[in-house]
Amino acid sequence: MKHSNSQKLRLGSFVLIGTILFIAGVFLIGQRQNMFKKTFTISAFFQNVNGLQKGNNVRYSGIGIGTVKDITMINDSTIKVDMAIEEKIISHIKKNGIATIGSDGLVGNMIINIVPGKGLSEVIGNGDIIESYSKIGADDILSTLSVSSENAAILTSDLLKITTAMLEGKGTVGLLLNDTIMAQDLKQSINNLKMASRGATNTINELNEIISSLKTNDDTVLGMILNDSISGQKLKTVVNNLETSSSEIENVLNNINNVVDDFNSSEGAYNYIVKDTSLVNSLKSTLKNINEGTDKFNQNMEALKHNFLTRGYFRKLERDEKKEAKNQND
Amino acid sequence: MPDITKMKAQLDVFLIEIGELSYFTARFFKETFKRPFELKELLNQCYNMGNKSLLLVGITGFIIGLVLTLQTRPTLMEFGAVSWMPSMVSISIVREIGPILTALVCAGRIGSGLGAEIGSMRVTEQIDAMEVSGTNPFKYLVVTRVLAVTLMLPLLVIIGDAIALFGSFLVENVKGNVSFVLYFNQVFDALKFGDIMPATIKSFFFGLAIGLVGCFKGYYCKKGTAGVGKAANSAVVFTSLLLFIIDFIAVFVTDIFYDL
Repeated sequence: MKHSNSQKLRLGSFVLIGTILFIAGVFLIGQRQNMFKKTFTISAFFQNVNGLQKGNNVRYSGIGIGTVKDITMINDSTIKVDMAIEEKIISHIKKNGIATIGSDGLVGNMIINIVPGKGLSEVIGNGDIIESYSKIGADDILSTLSVSSENAAILTSDLLKITTAMLEGKGTVGLLLNDTIMAQDLKQSINNLKMASRGATNTINELNEIISSLKTNDDTVLGMILNDSISGQKLKTVVNNLETSSSEIENVLNNINNVVDDFNSSEGAYNYIVKDTSLVNSLKSTLKNINEGTDKFNQNMEALKHNFLTRGYFRKLERDEKKEAKNQND
Repeated sequence: MPDITKMKAQLDVFLIEIGELSYFTARFFKETFKRPFELKELLNQCYNMGNKSLLLVGITGFIIGLVLTLQTRPTLMEFGAVSWMPSMVSISIVREIGPILTALVCAGRIGSGLGAEIGSMRVTEQIDAMEVSGTNPFKYLVVTRVLAVTLMLPLLVIIGDAIALFGSFLVENVKGNVSFVLYFNQVFDALKFGDIMPATIKSFFFGLAIGLVGCFKGYYCKKGTAGVGKAANSAVVFTSLLLFIIDFIAVFVTDIFYDL
């Protein structure tokens, strides 16, 4: 019994340390389960909770704010998830927040992420329901991957066909890869292109020089226009004069138009000649009479040539004509 | 035919032992709540079983924490999941490795000690002398010791868990440059009441089994020094087997209540 006090002290310390460790552990775990904090409950409806369990964490913009309190099946396609949220965070969550179920890391536990909604909204209250958004599950990703891998297989088989054809020299690319003559031609073409580009460069340089000389040389028309202010002034005057002339020409044309209109509209001789059809008919009959008169006159003249009184005069005229023609030929 | 007779005889012995142990357990519960309470002896036994086992449990826990982390680290690195080390180590230690290992260590140290101590008292007729002198040897020797180990084992488990986690943290700190705060934040993020409560409750049962079997083997020890050795030996063997059976039942029951 000598050591009883020391023994008691050690035993007390041992028990105390063990108890403190146990209580600390329970407290720390309970704190994370929001057991010693004031909480309020909000809910969200999901079609699929992807293995979410009671006690899983709830995060708001990445910060842990609570845990999943309860998961209830409402009907065949709706699951209600109740979340215990720390009361101190209430002022930050709005009613338009959106709850999504995600994974904590690639292989981690399922969590609920609440993200703030767009625009202004009221602060959320106890028992409120927020919108939810169901993300694509791992199964959906795997099925998409399956389709992608099938497509990749088709693509690789097609690629294999293409490369085989290319190696066999089929098609344009195959020809490019295998035909040495075409390669030489291409080389030649490239050389030609090089030469052409060199020539183009030279031409451009020359053009630049010409343009710069045009700009600086006052002897040329363009240089004079560009540089000589007096010539410019003269040109301006010429243009002004041209403008004046054109306006005058326009006036003249207007006058002519008026005259023509007068012609057309007035009852003068022109209009009578152009428009009166009876005049044409009378002119036609007059001309006919003249023609007939002329024919009869010719007949009379022919009769006069054969008349003994006038026959001598006509023979004299013939002789004079012959003489004149003979003189001209000599 | 002789084999079957022999086996039947062995089975009978085993069943008789189970029956005796059941009576022993019933008597323990009966005597526990009967006055007078041997509080001084209880505290003395708590000191012997708790404090004196602490070093062994602490070293075992520390090494287990270190080794578990070191061995698991390369595999987790292959998956790029080293950040899950605190969660994995804490859950495995708190749920299973801590309680069962501490219980096995205590079964070796305390169970064999009880069997040998009470057995030698039986052999040297000290128990008979106590009965003659009017002292209830069952109450003084058995109840105090069984209660002490039942109460001390959960504390040893908790301290052992804490030391094992600290050992794991040291490896993570040296190899992965993980800070103390981050490590223990992840530990308590991963742990739930469904981990710590069943483990603590089953530790009580582990302690009860160690105490009862150790005391039973010693109390009904056969005469002679060989009987003491046999009592100590069979106490450890039987307790170890019983610990695993209790552990299985505990995990089974926990699975029903906590949906692990």
